Amino acid sequence: MVSTSAVRIQGLWKRFGQQIAVAGIDLELPAGKFIGLVGPNGAGKTTTLSMVTGLLRPDQGTVEIAGHDVWRDPVAVKARIGVLPEGLRLFERLTGRELLAYSGRLRGLPGDEVDRRAAQLLDVLDLAGAQHKLVVDYSTGMRKKIGLAAALLHNPEVLFLDEPFEGVDPVSAQTIRGVLERYTASGATVVFSSHVMELVESLCDWVAVMAAGRIRAQGPLAEVRGDAATLQEAFLALVGAQGRAAGSDLDWLGGGAR
Amino acid sequence: MTATAPTGPTGRQTPPAAPAPSITPVVVRLKLSLLRNGLRQSGGRRAAYLTSAVLALLFALSQLLGLIVLRGHAHIASVAVPGGALLALGWAVMPLFFPSGDETLDPTRLVMLPLRPQPLVRALLAASLVGVGPLFTVLLLAGCVIAVAHGAVAWTVAVVAVPLALLVCVALARAVAAANIQLLTSRRGRDLAVLSGLVVAVGAQLVNFGMQRLGTAGLAQLDPAADVLRWVPPATAVGAVDSASRGDHAAAAAQLALTAAALAALLGVWARSLTRLMTSPDASTVQSPDAAARERSGGGLARLVPPGRTGTVMERSLRYIWRDPKTKAAWMTSLAIGLIVPVFNALQGTGSPYFACFAAGMLGIQMYNQFGQDTSAFWMVALTISTPRDAYVELRGRALALLTVTLPYATLVTVLTTALLGGWARLPQVLGLSFGLLGAMLATGAWMSARFPYSIPQEGYKNVVPGQAGLAWIAVFDGMLSAALLCSPVIALTIWSHVSASGGDWSWVLLPVGALYGAGLTVLGLRLAAPRTAARLPEILTAVSKG
Repeated sequence: MVSTSAVRIQGLWKRFGQQIAVAGIDLELPAGKFIGLVGPNGAGKTTTLSMVTGLLRPDQGTVEIAGHDVWRDPVAVKARIGVLPEGLRLFERLTGRELLAYSGRLRGLPGDEVDRRAAQLLDVLDLAGAQHKLVVDYSTGMRKKIGLAAALLHNPEVLFLDEPFEGVDPVSAQTIRGVLERYTASGATVVFSSHVMELVESLCDWVAVMAAGRIRAQGPLAEVRGDAATLQEAFLALVGAQGRAAGSDLDWLGGGAR
Repeated sequence: MTATAPTGPTGRQTPPAAPAPSITPVVVRLKLSLLRNGLRQSGGRRAAYLTSAVLALLFALSQLLGLIVLRGHAHIASVAVPGGALLALGWAVMPLFFPSGDETLDPTRLVMLPLRPQPLVRALLAASLVGVGPLFTVLLLAGCVIAVAHGAVAWTVAVVAVPLALLVCVALARAVAAANIQLLTSRRGRDLAVLSGLVVAVGAQLVNFGMQRLGTAGLAQLDPAADVLRWVPPATAVGAVDSASRGDHAAAAAQLALTAAALAALLGVWARSLTRLMTSPDASTVQSPDAAARERSGGGLARLVPPGRTGTVMERSLRYIWRDPKTKAAWMTSLAIGLIVPVFNALQGTGSPYFACFAAGMLGIQMYNQFGQDTSAFWMVALTISTPRDAYVELRGRALALLTVTLPYATLVTVLTTALLGGWARLPQVLGLSFGLLGAMLATGAWMSARFPYSIPQEGYKNVVPGQAGLAWIAVFDGMLSAALLCSPVIALTIWSHVSASGGDWSWVLLPVGALYGAGLTVLGLRLAAPRTAARLPEILTAVSKG
């Protein structure tokens, strides 16, 4: 790949009624990296990812993926990206296997190839035993894994994952992690959002910190962390939430007496 | 914890046992607060509640007056006794349709509180007696009892019978609600609950036809029913008063005892399911392997559909008709009503073969709000549509899936209706009209799907999310109006074939003309809808994600 940035965002705005969800974001995400978009709940992460992937129309601003404008060149963009959104359903009345078959064929891949890839993905993601179960009966972790499989099926250049580890058990989380690490090692880009700092710190080599609809910091992990001991501390300093210690007047709490 | 004082089994110090205060007033107050807060939410809700309460009470009062006026009528017991049974039926069905109507009805909300079943049952029963429903019931029960009570003994029985019957009604509602919640905690149960709305819709049609037939008969018609119902609680309470009025004291005592026994049994069942609800884990995601295998039906579907996106889309759409409870309910309703209206009318001799177009119209409605039927899973479709061509293939696949069911079905209904009416000569033109209408419905449905998508809530019986009702009306009403307009050339041709002298000989032409016209309209509709769909993907996704 010649272009060094996988995603380039310029002046991105989104307003819902009175509330400004995303207030003018400029962001350049390098290709071939494991990128974390971190921020507290309500920071605008999901809104940003939705606009970047073409699922939500921005009020203003441009988004380019691998040099192609998301809104002007959807053919080039949609073939290059894989998405795992948060809070949107899947076609849950299909079995895991049927969902992958559907999703791959909808993207125009040949049927045999889809089935071959689907079988491998189900195997690697520990879903082979549940492949004939309806997705509606899957647990949260299984849903995230089948969503991830659907997002990877067409071998995208850039993968966007919204809270991929939210509500996922440790075993599934480790499986997802393994697959993603192998995927980025091959030169692909993963952009994922999370509010769990430890996770982002252990997985990412590049982070963007979001709060109240704006980007507070972006860059390689070490750079954003700076002198702070952990990303958590650096983050709290960035969003100005330090020193709010848990109440000292809860003196009755604990100790056994009622 | 290293405590020196004697501790309970959990390790915590147990406080000295004090007589626990009764929770009945607490739960009654909770019910009142919930009622009040519900009304405080919005002026519209308050107005709606007050209006319906006033209307319900006015209705109850008018029934009360009516029953008092009819007092002494020879067959009045045949009205009063089934009246009691009807009230109980209402109470049994109500929690199924308004599961969220009364939050104290949901015992799982109290699951974290350390409550014993007996006091809880007492408290919840008392709380159920607060509200418009019980007042409405008391008024009607009083009416039923007053209508049949003659003599001091009967009046004495009545004083016991009315509260007893009310308690049976309320306990019945509670027992059904508890059983229903148990059902609703499993996915299969929820799927069934959505389908039960369909049973009511079709049942209403059947009742409608039944009533038309029974309309001419008098009150005496109800006598046999009343004879049975007077031994079915809680109608037994009204039956007891009637028996006492006739001097049959033994029957009166037996009927009262039966009512009381029914109350005890219902309370027992309720208490047991309450305990089970609050102590056993939710087993909704546990599924046996063979059940999973059974779900995997329609494996051969892939071989029957065309290759590429068209086949993929068709396969998913057809699977959803069977597997998605909401889609299934909508389809079943359309299929049932599309059959019932023309065929039943034909059976009664009042129909016309043109009624068979009803089937095409009802099924064509399924093309409307295609993307709303996807719910927010539409994002998976949106991410694979980059050009108007993609959108066209997507919409065409959905239309073809619909046609694989609709085309044979509409043909079958048309042939059946025509056969029943014996008007074979008109079969070609009715079929032509049906196909033309179907094409117009598919065309307008595709366009409305792109232009006015709206969310379909996945739980409950509603088909529109609050706030989008106007949108849904525009989509369906305007769509059907346009479909009728688009069909007008075929309709005009049909009328011409009737009025013109030589038209009768040419009426068979309407079959190919209607079919071709319908096909043409469908292709045109899809072509017009496709670029709109492709251009509005984020807007459609937002509109269908509210469920």
